[in-house]
Amino acid sequence: MKQQQFEADNAALWQKIAAILDGTELDRRDLPALYRRLCQCLALCRQRGYSPAVADYLQKMVGDCHRLLYGSAVHRPTTLLRWMLVDLPCRVRAEWRLLLVAMVAVFGVGIGVGLLVWHNPQMAYSFMSPSELSSVHQMYQPNATKVGRGGSEGDVQMFGFYIWNNISIDFRTFAAGIFGGIPALISLAFNGMHIGVVAAWLSKDPVTRHTFWSFVITHSSFEVAGLVLSGLSGMKLGLALIHPGRLSRGHALHAASEKMFPVIVGAALLTFLAAFFEAFWSASVAVPDQVKYAVGTLCWLLVIAFFVFAGRGKQ
Amino acid sequence: MRLLDGRLSIITPEGVRLLLTPAGPYLRAGAWVLDFFVWSTAAGILYAILPKGKLGQGLYLISLFVTYWGYPVICEVYFGGRTLGKRATGLEVVRADGLPVGWRESTLRNLLLVADFLPMFYASGLICMMLDVKFRRIGDIVAGTVVVHREPKPVRMPPVAAQPMAPPFPLNADQQRTLADLFERERSLPIERLAELGTIAEPLTGRTGVESVEAMRGYVAGFSQ
Repeated sequence: MKQQQFEADNAALWQKIAAILDGTELDRRDLPALYRRLCQCLALCRQRGYSPAVADYLQKMVGDCHRLLYGSAVHRPTTLLRWMLVDLPCRVRAEWRLLLVAMVAVFGVGIGVGLLVWHNPQMAYSFMSPSELSSVHQMYQPNATKVGRGGSEGDVQMFGFYIWNNISIDFRTFAAGIFGGIPALISLAFNGMHIGVVAAWLSKDPVTRHTFWSFVITHSSFEVAGLVLSGLSGMKLGLALIHPGRLSRGHALHAASEKMFPVIVGAALLTFLAAFFEAFWSASVAVPDQVKYAVGTLCWLLVIAFFVFAGRGKQ
Repeated sequence: MRLLDGRLSIITPEGVRLLLTPAGPYLRAGAWVLDFFVWSTAAGILYAILPKGKLGQGLYLISLFVTYWGYPVICEVYFGGRTLGKRATGLEVVRADGLPVGWRESTLRNLLLVADFLPMFYASGLICMMLDVKFRRIGDIVAGTVVVHREPKPVRMPPVAAQPMAPPFPLNADQQRTLADLFERERSLPIERLAELGTIAEPLTGRTGVESVEAMRGYVAGFSQ
């Protein structure tokens, strides 16, 4: 068959498909059948040596059809809910060894450095500069208008700052973890150290002790959990690179990232929640310390219970 | 036909070969610069229009966060795998199997930009792209994506109009294709170059220069009409 006759014979088919691809034709039910005929046209065109322009035209159309046919995502409105309520706790439990390492990096380093500063307060100056320590001390004076801040910031302003700063730290901890997990571990330990020094320094002074602990107890439950999760997922990526097992390194990384995706999303959501509490609840001086302690303890228990019990038997 | 070029080939279930051309660091860096310019301009505009003071500062930081991490992801998921920078440079992000990227792939590859940036100015990403045959940066390998050149929509030329002629000996499909291609590219070639090509084809046509070109036009008309 000559090329022009071939083009004339199939012009109607090509136009129909082009209309579906453009979006002018909304009834796509015929597409699979039309697409198979188009693939046959391309094969014939190649075999018979028709001009490259026709082949390119058909090739492009085949590519577009392939994307439309196989690339349409199934609409699953409850995916995020399932990820957060089932996959997130289950995957964290499955990685309990890494969770342990991450918790030791945060709490172990934090408590260790905290005890060091508690017994030798001058050691605090080896971790933080005197001006930082005195500004932290200033922030937790009981007569301040807002706890935990310099004094003149607004709630929304601090909310924005916590989101921009803290969630970005989570993302960086996760991403940098790919280099063997070490950067994620350093990030966790560094944050643990900072928390330990500040906590011990402020607990030493009876004036700031209660303002500090009542300020941090609520939002720290979500914030530390978010940090630990981002470190955990970062270390998982790093381990996939060091120890890919029976997969190639590329495949191992891909599999690990797929597994850890709900975890990093969960970390971001927890840190968002922490930012909300830190800005609008923890800093408030209207709420009595006892209420803050009670709510804070409840939040810690909730976080722990969620990661211990949620999603069991639903995988 | 198997060509020794850098293109990735994907065989679909229908037995058709799809070809993707991975994009190299130069164009992708250009796309990044454009995107960074767009983002910083948008951030500047937001800073100017949001009310000053504590409330405005908070809203500004929230929008900075959303645009910084969200802009590439939303562009890639909802606008055909292309941010504005990629649109301008003719690139797009697709999954390794050639299909459009989803939320997970796009989020992962954009989060891992941080790892590609380390230790400074995307050094890790550049080294990774140099070592990988598909020019993937670390984020692309982790997310299972690849950045490719977007194929432009091909233009179909009007058929060759000439008196059909029979070639002196039968031409196979490849040779026919080569001749047909010449006349589809005719408009982009100067007449002198065409004449030169005609002279090269003397063993086929037995003529030189423009006369030889006209003979070949006749052969093409012969096997396409």
